[in-house]
Amino acid sequence: MKAIICCFIGTLLSLQLFSDEYAVVTHKDVNSLTLGQIKALFLKKTAYLGEIAIVPVNLSSRNPVRVSFEKRVLHMSFIRLKSYWTKQHYLGHRPPINMKSQESVKAFIQKVDGSIGYMRLEKVANGMKIVYRWSD
Amino acid sequence: MLKSLVVIVFVVMSLFAQEYEEEKSYEIGEGFQVGELPLYVGGYFSLDYRFKDSKSRYRIDDLAFLAYGNYEKLSYMAEFEYKEFYTLSETDNEYTSEQDTTLHTERLYLDYTFNENFILRVGKYNSPVGFWNLLPINVLRDTTSSPISTERIFPKFTTGLYGSYTTYSEGELKIDTMLQHNDDFDETYNNYVIDEHYALGITYSLEEMDFKINIGTFDNYLPGNTTRNLHYILASFKYETEEYQVMSEFGSQRSNGSFTTKYAGYLQGVYHLSEQHSTILRLESYDDNFYNLQDEMAILGYVYRPLYPIAIKAEYQFHSISVENQFLFSFSVLF
Repeated sequence: MKAIICCFIGTLLSLQLFSDEYAVVTHKDVNSLTLGQIKALFLKKTAYLGEIAIVPVNLSSRNPVRVSFEKRVLHMSFIRLKSYWTKQHYLGHRPPINMKSQESVKAFIQKVDGSIGYMRLEKVANGMKIVYRWSD
Repeated sequence: MLKSLVVIVFVVMSLFAQEYEEEKSYEIGEGFQVGELPLYVGGYFSLDYRFKDSKSRYRIDDLAFLAYGNYEKLSYMAEFEYKEFYTLSETDNEYTSEQDTTLHTERLYLDYTFNENFILRVGKYNSPVGFWNLLPINVLRDTTSSPISTERIFPKFTTGLYGSYTTYSEGELKIDTMLQHNDDFDETYNNYVIDEHYALGITYSLEEMDFKINIGTFDNYLPGNTTRNLHYILASFKYETEEYQVMSEFGSQRSNGSFTTKYAGYLQGVYHLSEQHSTILRLESYDDNFYNLQDEMAILGYVYRPLYPIAIKAEYQFHSISVENQFLFSFSVLF
């Protein structure tokens, strides 16, 4: 019984530890990235790293992980990004594709060469590479 | 049997769970994709009203269509526009109307991306000089009017080659080169009729700040089949936060060792009262020897965006040449 309680408390603590930690992850073929490169890729200022075509993926616009990513990594609010992508439409550039869930982002990154996304740290799995971490 | 079926259903569901699910929805101001083709379409329009020197003018000014897309390292952009499509002027209770149904080619180019640093473009494009000329359409501006410096110093469009080199680290450094050695594509749709334009631009961006310097030279055709060679320089600055933006461009233009435009520039501040409401103050000044005009002005403006790609704007311009004082109002949409 004691062991079960310890295990339960341990699980709760580990969940708490991971709950506000996030990671920018890439397909395993992508090399390490600077914060400037991550921003440039998600803002579609460039679509390449060296010769490799990069495919950034977002979560849905109201997903709390995306909200945190935009605030902590891109340092841009929802309205500022809306203005940015409206201007990019005039310039012929599209925003990253949206995925419905972190599970979808995970499956996409594991499968697609050159892909990059973000998720809660505890969701990171094999076949991905962590290139940046942040927390709320 | 039932157990086997449950196992099969579970395995199939697990396989689907490994697949990703993309979310697609149309949002105004971002265009839409035609089927699954590398083709996105959109457009924009603007309606405006001006009251100046006791005369009113109503216009359907811009009516434009955009098409763009990319396939691997190639991308393209096409933009066709009716300019001053319909104008109704009122003077002393008399109305006159004009219609211009010429469909202009505003942009038409093909890009090739070599890698994360190099892009090569061929075709007609907005000259990447300063910041204003990159996003010159009504709905993307904060005021209905554009500063004089964006009309006088350099050609707004270039037809030819363009190359850019960009590096991304702590800051972002971008070098633009423009090269035109041929007639303009749709020469009536440019502020200068040109057949040569060579220019260089360097932009450095660091967090909220952008600095840019442009130099260039171009040959301008004048009425009477004469040409003149003009040289220009333009320095630009932009600082943008969530609450406000400060932007400035100042330039000068010379020909045959003397100034054609001694200086022309502006300093503009935009303060966002909320997500939808912003106020604008722009101070402008220019001294143009070619047209023998000199003016200073202050522009007070207000913009309401119920959604970002929809802009309702009003402004009043106070000029040192008082006959130029005017009120402008516009409604514009990007879709």
